[in-house]
Amino acid sequence: MSIRAAEPQPVEDVQGDNRWMSMHTHFLRDAKEKEPEVLLIGDSLIRNMAHSPLWKKMFEPLHCLNFGVSGDRTEHVLWRVQNGELDQIEPKVIVLMVGTNNHGDTPEQVTAGIMAIVKAIQDKQPASNLIVVGLLPRGEHPNPLREKHTAINQQLAEQLSEHSMTTFLRIDDRDFFLPGPKGGDPVTAANGVIPRDFMYDFLHLTMDDGYQKLCEPLLEEIQNCLGTFVKVESTSFDTGSMAGDIANDIKQ
Amino acid sequence: MPGTDSCRLYTVQVLCLALPTVLTYGRRRPLTFKLMITFQIGMPLFKVPSLSDSLGLRNWGLDSSGNNRACPRFYSSLINKAIADYLLANGFNAALEHFQKEAGMPQEIEKKFSGLLEKRWTSVIRLQKKVMDLESKLTEVEEEVNNGAPTRDRRSPGEWIPRPPERYSLSGHRSPITRVAFHPVYSVMVSCSEDATIKVWDYETGDYERTLKGHTDSVQDVAFDAAGKTLVSCSADMTIKLWDFNGYECIKTMYGHDHNVSSVTFLPSGDFVVSSSRDKTIKMWEVATGYCVKTYTGHREWVRMVRVYQDGSLLASCSNDQAVRVWVTATKECKAELREHEHVVECIAWAPDSAQPAINEAAGTESKSAKRSGPFLLSGSRDKTMKMWDVSVGLCLFTLAGHDNWIRGVVFHPGGKYILSASDDKTIRVWDTQNKRNHKTLQAHPHFVTSIDMHRNAPYVITGSVDMSVKVWECR
Repeated sequence: MSIRAAEPQPVEDVQGDNRWMSMHTHFLRDAKEKEPEVLLIGDSLIRNMAHSPLWKKMFEPLHCLNFGVSGDRTEHVLWRVQNGELDQIEPKVIVLMVGTNNHGDTPEQVTAGIMAIVKAIQDKQPASNLIVVGLLPRGEHPNPLREKHTAINQQLAEQLSEHSMTTFLRIDDRDFFLPGPKGGDPVTAANGVIPRDFMYDFLHLTMDDGYQKLCEPLLEEIQNCLGTFVKVESTSFDTGSMAGDIANDIKQ
Repeated sequence: MPGTDSCRLYTVQVLCLALPTVLTYGRRRPLTFKLMITFQIGMPLFKVPSLSDSLGLRNWGLDSSGNNRACPRFYSSLINKAIADYLLANGFNAALEHFQKEAGMPQEIEKKFSGLLEKRWTSVIRLQKKVMDLESKLTEVEEEVNNGAPTRDRRSPGEWIPRPPERYSLSGHRSPITRVAFHPVYSVMVSCSEDATIKVWDYETGDYERTLKGHTDSVQDVAFDAAGKTLVSCSADMTIKLWDFNGYECIKTMYGHDHNVSSVTFLPSGDFVVSSSRDKTIKMWEVATGYCVKTYTGHREWVRMVRVYQDGSLLASCSNDQAVRVWVTATKECKAELREHEHVVECIAWAPDSAQPAINEAAGTESKSAKRSGPFLLSGSRDKTMKMWDVSVGLCLFTLAGHDNWIRGVVFHPGGKYILSASDDKTIRVWDTQNKRNHKTLQAHPHFVTSIDMHRNAPYVITGSVDMSVKVWECR
């Protein structure tokens, strides 16, 4: 039996304004004209990144294109990949982040869907580095979806470890949790609470603090793949580690 | 109580230790670091112990009498090891033995300390020079802030360079600007954009004049003939259009390229135009008939730009295949393929005769007999460097590095002393050709700067950007 999450499928236009297909058409046009070095593709978590102030500071200088569509499931991204969005470009790095919208699918099915996209991307762009970003936790309090995401991330980590040119970037769930009472208690998946400062609706990231938790490690990984370090603006709010950096330098 | 002198001394030492970090740490927070260090140098030295405080080094260093008073143990053992290594390396074995005994050190010397003393010694000198350079640069900039930039009459036109702030920031285009170009005679300029239009502006008054519509896709390049009577434009719609610049009418549309036309320019006579395309070819067109008369093939990828040498005998082109090519206009023969860039070559410019002395100086041609006469060609690339080529021998004479992102436009200063460049690092830069040095950097736009032009006679520079604005910069 075929797995729905791994079968390419365009979004059904239930609302009747054909927006999804318009987005796809515009992406095709962008792909024809622009020459991105980095391509991000996925769902709303990718899409909204382009509206974060961090996008302008951190990603724009790298010559990025953002092919995120809100609400996309793995089968939709797979359809877009197979229908031209990667055909006219030669990005050095591709970032994939999708899966949180695959309601009703088991962790195994979502993983299979993501792996199908990985294969499709690598068929189209064998020379590109691929970064697969693990699913983020969701919901204010611990819930079955968080467990599902953890399971998906574990399977992805295993299956992607054998892929060449592919990196699995997993953001630690605990990065999004409030510190325990008095700041001292260990925060675990069993008791982690997500504040609205990081995820305003307990799913989507806030434009500054929320995306910073995703963008900083992602940028680091992208720059590693590019092999060069394009100068981007400082986004860190603290400069306190400078003394430590200098001290380290002296030690060498 | 440490006196001013000793404070000064340890601050300089801390700076010397801190600078390498700052200089090599251009990755995540370069801006903060650069600012801090400028600040550090700019302030009276004894007032800024914050850095040394944060390092816990307040008491570290030599006082004015040269006693190593309160050096933390870590550093003293480091220095001892370095000294021991120095003694060993230079064969001062007796001294080494005594030193090791007196300092209570183990016999074997770790490898990682080899050459450390000399390294520190030379780096201090190098960094002191750097500090002095930065200080003098700072004084210069401070002077500019306090007294304004030098006035034009105090300097010769050959020295005029663009100064911030811009005189005009012109908006009207609805998509990124792809190219800007001065009219050779009138006080107008044109800009073209991904919005498929060309706009004409008065650069002296900052007035918008009119919009030329006709292309159906992104306009990629525009150029005037020598008299400024005809304008040529090319577009991603695969056509080239000739415009009568008196009536602003499109007088001819030329079809023949099989893909996006990336660049176009007139031959000096004005009878022909040449164009380059994503279809990997360069084509020559007769203005009178609109026919394609020659096709130059050889590039393996998208040809980004084509430019004609002053006398019309040579063409230069650059491409996504990372090469620059020089062609004999008349025979279609590829005279040279210049390969050294490590990424797409975005732009090229032929050096005017006035630039020859500076280029020769920069290339280090000492003896008069060996003086190079070019032609010289400059190329700018996505590898963030510019390269100067001697086309007669097919050699790269020197490389200019300093931009932090793709280089999108290069133009020679008519005086011959400088080169101007535009980059995706959002700056435009003025380069002192003779010294191969980044002379001045202007934060030009809030987004990629895609194009730059400098007027041959009037003191103006114009830039275009992905931010959809065109800026006019006055030179002083």
